[in-house]
Amino acid sequence: MNDIGEFALLLALATALYGIVSYVMAFRSNRVDVYMSADKTPIIVWGCVMVSSVTLWKAFLVNDFSLQYVWAYSNIDLDVFYKFSSFWGGQKGSLLFWTLILTTYMMVVHVQNRKQNVRLVPIALAVMMVITLFFLVLLNFSTNPFERLPVPPEDGRGLNPLLQNYWMVIHPPTLYLGYVGFTVPFAFATAALLTKNLDDGWIRLTRKWTLVSWFFLCMGNLFGAQWAYVELGWGGYWAWDPVENAAFMPLIVATAYLHSVMIQEKKDMMKVWNMSLVLLTFVMTIFGTFITRSGLIQSVHTFDEATLGYYFLGFLGVIIAFSVTMILLRLKLLKSKNELDSFLSREASFLLNNLVLLGIAFSTFWGTIFPIVSEAFRGVKITVGPPFYNQVNVPIGMVLLALIGIGPVIAWRRSSWSNLKKNFTQPVLAAVIGAAILFPLVPLTDKSEIFTYITFILCIFVMTSMLIEFRKGTGARMEAHGESAVGALSGMVWKNKSRYGGYIVHLGVVLIFAGIAGSQSYSTNVEKQLKEGDRFQLRGYDITFEKLLWIKSNDTKERVVAQLGIEREGRRVFVGYPEKEFYKGQKQPISEVDLWSTIKEDLYMILADFKGDQLVTNDNGKTGYFKDASVTVKVYVMPMVKWIWTGGWVIAFGTMIAVWPDRLEARRRTERLKRQESIFMPAQE
Amino acid sequence: MKTIRVYIIMVAALLVLAGPVTVWAASQMADLENALMCKCDDKCGKVLINCTCDTSKETRKTLMSKLESGLTVDQIVKQYVDKYGETVLSAPTKSGFNLSAWITPFAALVIGGLGVRKVIQSWVRPGQTKKDAEESGEASASEAEAPSGKYSKRLKDELDRLDS
Repeated sequence: MNDIGEFALLLALATALYGIVSYVMAFRSNRVDVYMSADKTPIIVWGCVMVSSVTLWKAFLVNDFSLQYVWAYSNIDLDVFYKFSSFWGGQKGSLLFWTLILTTYMMVVHVQNRKQNVRLVPIALAVMMVITLFFLVLLNFSTNPFERLPVPPEDGRGLNPLLQNYWMVIHPPTLYLGYVGFTVPFAFATAALLTKNLDDGWIRLTRKWTLVSWFFLCMGNLFGAQWAYVELGWGGYWAWDPVENAAFMPLIVATAYLHSVMIQEKKDMMKVWNMSLVLLTFVMTIFGTFITRSGLIQSVHTFDEATLGYYFLGFLGVIIAFSVTMILLRLKLLKSKNELDSFLSREASFLLNNLVLLGIAFSTFWGTIFPIVSEAFRGVKITVGPPFYNQVNVPIGMVLLALIGIGPVIAWRRSSWSNLKKNFTQPVLAAVIGAAILFPLVPLTDKSEIFTYITFILCIFVMTSMLIEFRKGTGARMEAHGESAVGALSGMVWKNKSRYGGYIVHLGVVLIFAGIAGSQSYSTNVEKQLKEGDRFQLRGYDITFEKLLWIKSNDTKERVVAQLGIEREGRRVFVGYPEKEFYKGQKQPISEVDLWSTIKEDLYMILADFKGDQLVTNDNGKTGYFKDASVTVKVYVMPMVKWIWTGGWVIAFGTMIAVWPDRLEARRRTERLKRQESIFMPAQE
Repeated sequence: MKTIRVYIIMVAALLVLAGPVTVWAASQMADLENALMCKCDDKCGKVLINCTCDTSKETRKTLMSKLESGLTVDQIVKQYVDKYGETVLSAPTKSGFNLSAWITPFAALVIGGLGVRKVIQSWVRPGQTKKDAEESGEASASEAEAPSGKYSKRLKDELDRLDS
């Protein structure tokens, strides 16, 4: 069976090579027969990669430790759920998983555009095939997941315990769906550059792809933050680790693109800029992969066997050189009639938004590579950790937050001062009232708390400006059509999906900003040594250590669990079970936190240490408790963390509305396609 | 009797001072934990305040004893830099070459901002800004004179919608 998986990878490689050559030949020679032949390759490549992936999954499920990869990332006692996710637990499998997603996307592009958009699709598919080829070369010749062990061991080494968490099952696929998704806009942008079809056709074709990829990357980042929050046990969710930064940067650049592309769609401007942003987003995804897999920059997330640095560095170099060359070569064709009606216009505000977003992306990039810069120039290795990013990105982020509120109330083309005054009065008034109400309520003793106070005021300003937009539109519809408020609101959102979907996304972003600010500034924690029955207080919570439990999950895993009774105002509200998990063969135990999460705050409990003189086991020998136990627990009260996760779901809802198929748009698209007469239209000069 | 009174006063004074001293020590400790990276064998790459490994526990104990011995945060940080090098710091220092780490992002933003300003200036049609000002004045005047009827509002809303 493993031979089939290995052979399928080789076949995929050969087919991808054939696909590239035949697509290019078909395009150049305008030969339909060659095109028809090339057109089968995306499905064959996808099929081969799928066969290979299924083979590897099966090897995990049947504990086939003859495969070095399965031995390294699984064992007999591993839960089936995690055996499934072990697939992407290491470098080899994660590369195969990346390739599987890439080829699936390629197949969808192929099916979506069958006999359509033929000016761009063959070359776009050829570009995707080139990228697939790169990954297939790595899988076949450098990091083969089907590598055998000379003597198959009886059991495997097991999956890293930190990865045995449900967020780790969801987080990597989501992140990869986002990362890899940006290949599609990149491929179409490159096809547009190569074929000189530089109208906004490629933008319209890839708009939803970009949105969906952005959404997955955004959710991937949030899921990763949730994993860190519940699994790493330090009371935080984002540490500005290089690998976290690597996922954050393409998200920010793509956000800039999603805004600036609207100017091109509406006014046919900024073609060079938008093209550059799409290419840069893809470059950032490869840069992220380079960081994760090179071992060049120290990170808790890098793969153990991070040895592919040179391959990715070379690939990155080729992509950058190609992108820059193509833009320079097509500069004349990309020139657009750039005209703005006024400084006071939404177009200008979008330019500012792009500047700020790229500022955040650049500072994150700069912080990530500065250790290398320092070593190169001074020969001294340094660390760039959270204090740097917080001090640099927080002020820039606040400007961005303000722009989220300002942008939508400025009209396209031109805004008059009186118009601005009218539109800004209510949001500013709400912000002033909010500031006055919050002033006596929130502490303002240090810089962080002052920043948080300002962030809250900005959040109120943005929320109000958004809600006014919804109210104005709903009111107009109610007046015009005599609809009820709910009917008018839903009708308005449904008829302007991308606009109001975007506004809902903005509301989600505001919740995230508020959640980050609140949880960073107002959290508190205490570490206590407790004997059975001891209690302590923290911000109105009465916490009692009740007992220390012992659970033997299986032959490789034992758990020691502290039972903490939580009371509030004399009423028992929750029982917390923070624990330490001991895995066979692991030097250190893993902390599993327990949470009592409300919209106001999270009570976050960690079992830091324990002592138990005598273990009393139950009849089954698999559970028990410690007599005369004592524990050290660390408890945090983290305000507003739930706002961050809620913001993520609001973003998901907004994106869903924005990408929901639109009949009117579909009709326009069909009409546009009808106008394309021949299969291969000559490129514009 | 006098001696007992002195003892009572001393104990009371200690109890009164113990609170603030503990708070002060906790805040100093937090500063230290934020300033230093964990130097465990696993190279966890975490800031000390975020680290939960055994090494970090030991480091915290050592730091607390150093604080209690009267050393300042700066002195302790310097001791650690001397021992482990600059990698032990969680962020670059704000002096010498490292200053460029802090300045560059803001410098890039300022340069970018100037660039955007220049771009917008060149894109706004000549004379447009002046016209804007005039028009906004006119608009204010005409808004004041315009009938505030239902139809003009509806027309405006429709135009706004088309505009967007």
